[in-house]
Amino acid sequence: MNRGRGTRRSCQSQRSAGSSGRQWREDKKDQRQRPAPVVSAEEEKQKLGRKITEAVPKGTCQTMCPVQELQDRVAQNRLHHFEMVPGTEKDRRPKGDPLRAVKEYARPAAGKDATNPTDLRPPAVLLKTVHYLINEIAATPSRHPWTEVYGFVFDRLRSVKQDMIIQRVSGSECAALLEPIVRFLIYASYRLCGEPLRLYDPRINDTHLQEYLSWLLDCYTADGGPNPNQEEFQALGLLYNLDSMRARQHAMELPQQLRTSSSVTLAMSIGQAFLERNPVRLLRLAGGLSFLQTCALHRHLVACRRDLLLIYSHGFSSRNCRFPLDRLARLLHLDSALAAQLCQLCGLRVDLENQVLFSKSAFVEPKQTSLDCKLYHRKISEKQTSLSRLLLRGLHETNTD
Amino acid sequence: MAHITINQYLQQIYEAIDNHEGSFCAELLSFKHPHVANPRLQLANPEDKCQQILEPPYDEMVAAHLCTYAVANHDFVEAYKFQTLVVAFQSHKEENALPIMSAVTLDLRIFANNAEQQLQKKGKGHPGEMLEKAAEQLMSCFRVCASDRAGIDDSKKWGMMFLSNQLFKIYFKLQINKLHLCKPLIRAIDSSNLKNDYSQAQKVTYKYYVGRKAMFDSDFKPAEEFLSFAFHHCHRSSQKNKRMILIYLLPVKMLLFQGHMPTHQLLRKYDLMQFSDVTKAVEGNLLLLNEALSKHETFFIRCGIFLILEKLKIITYRNLFKKYLLLKTHQLPLDAFLVSLKMMQVEDVDLDEVQCILANLIYMGHIKGYISHQHQKLVVSKQNPFPPLSCLS
Repeated sequence: MNRGRGTRRSCQSQRSAGSSGRQWREDKKDQRQRPAPVVSAEEEKQKLGRKITEAVPKGTCQTMCPVQELQDRVAQNRLHHFEMVPGTEKDRRPKGDPLRAVKEYARPAAGKDATNPTDLRPPAVLLKTVHYLINEIAATPSRHPWTEVYGFVFDRLRSVKQDMIIQRVSGSECAALLEPIVRFLIYASYRLCGEPLRLYDPRINDTHLQEYLSWLLDCYTADGGPNPNQEEFQALGLLYNLDSMRARQHAMELPQQLRTSSSVTLAMSIGQAFLERNPVRLLRLAGGLSFLQTCALHRHLVACRRDLLLIYSHGFSSRNCRFPLDRLARLLHLDSALAAQLCQLCGLRVDLENQVLFSKSAFVEPKQTSLDCKLYHRKISEKQTSLSRLLLRGLHETNTD
Repeated sequence: MAHITINQYLQQIYEAIDNHEGSFCAELLSFKHPHVANPRLQLANPEDKCQQILEPPYDEMVAAHLCTYAVANHDFVEAYKFQTLVVAFQSHKEENALPIMSAVTLDLRIFANNAEQQLQKKGKGHPGEMLEKAAEQLMSCFRVCASDRAGIDDSKKWGMMFLSNQLFKIYFKLQINKLHLCKPLIRAIDSSNLKNDYSQAQKVTYKYYVGRKAMFDSDFKPAEEFLSFAFHHCHRSSQKNKRMILIYLLPVKMLLFQGHMPTHQLLRKYDLMQFSDVTKAVEGNLLLLNEALSKHETFFIRCGIFLILEKLKIITYRNLFKKYLLLKTHQLPLDAFLVSLKMMQVEDVDLDEVQCILANLIYMGHIKGYISHQHQKLVVSKQNPFPPLSCLS
């Protein structure tokens, strides 16, 4: 009777509750070795069919891209140039490289069988695919522009997700796949910040990132056992969703040991500073974060600096008082020129002696478009190390074990 | 009643249906009623008997109800499965049978709850799986009720609040990740013209959950209204429920109006002494606040109010700094604030942060004045430098 549902994700269609209730009852009857009088032979057959399709599909495809898809895409000229045999890119019909082609994301559509085992990659192949995408594509500096790298990797990771859902990958296998994906999307949210909307849409990135992240955190919860990377991702989740009560409440409910681990504690303190609207503390604590953690936090930093200027405009609002710019720059964790620019965007005057005149009536809400977050990135990028190490760190650690 | 035969039992149901005695029929299908302990009703295959006496769909519904005998073996997973059937048949019926629906859906939720616990103990299934399934079932009943177009007297819309209360109970049990599902329910009830005419008991439950939801969304003003309503209209004998309401009402009131600190008697009466130190600490003792929060951390986290109590820190800062008014000067040195924060064992705090905290208090209107960076002083207004919190929006 236990049909072993495994991880259920939203995209699987659920049979109506009524019919599942009926089936339970039938199962019960079968168990009692009694023919079910109300069920006709026809229905019985349907039920059987349903049971077969309900068996979890297991992929057999051993390459990153199913053979059939590669053939089709070569014939239709739909290869991405990252997937072509080097040297044939300029040909009229470029050759597909089976070692570099990766299954594309395709929307589920009516009549399309997404459960064909030859088109599905088992978890081990999926893991290889994710590592390929990150090591060979995302982290290779020679490939640019990075927006194109992102477009490619984002799409191919999406197809990885689809394969995971169809095969109901769960447990530590699932976490191992999701972890690098989450790292990649967090990094992308920082690296591509400010790119034109047609190349990078922060909202779409955010939607996907949130989905992967909550899936990963659910995965840890369901797994129950300790996972070496859990601390890292709980902290990343908190920092990325700094303004979310839900994320904080989730963290509060973590097991004691995890909750009091150093990175979760730091992320919680930063969140606390955010709640108390204490940007000075927040920015100071943020100095202790790793590069990837800073990437996760980075989308809140503009608002945080603006908050600082807003409350200082009220707190220091006096005609006779001045606030030294270099001191303010230090609080904002920016260099003086950028701090002065930010003040001007908020309507605050900086005089010739580099003193800021705070005034609550002068403060204006800076226009979203004029706040170029990218300008403030320098401080963050100082922390960056090797990209592939960064995104696959978990892997490197286990490899050396 | 407790030892009637199956025929008598079915006859009673038949008559209850025939005479439109909804609430009696509901009792006969409820697990609160003594007939469930009657061994003579616990048949392995009650379908044929039921078909002889009752008309469809009642025959199948009652058969499923009787199959739920598994509850006698405390196998709640099994019991839950049959109860879903009962509910499924119930929701397909066109007639007005709200008492039956209430009875069977209530049992469904309780079974799902117990089944969930049993599965968790055995380490089987996904956490929350049973409850989620039950919620789906209840939701389909809710849709039937909400879309009923019958006249107001026998409208199924009267069942909406009961069902949404049941659903709230599930969503809040499933914790934060399902709370967004409350929204459509609240919207449906808000737009219904019956919303003020439901029974008092249902309204109290409803307001309690809507208040908690508002609280979670940081909408403290409406949260205070909803929870106050629930507290004042809750039946005086339901001490346990009143206590549950207070757990949420107290922090909201403390946050909104400084004047509304709960009295010692109230805390004692409702066995909520966990709040006692917090209440005292808000007077300006940051150290005590932190201690109280960590001492009762588990309780506050379990109730989901830890984060809200943490917000009391800002008011505590204000009250702490207010004490410097005793110095009878309008220019207060920033050093003094730093000293008091250090005395309260605030970690690695410096003058920059003191300025930031003060600037925020000024911005929020808790202090009237300005900070002079050159002189390292807080200059407060001569009139009303610390306006009472209740004046603030």
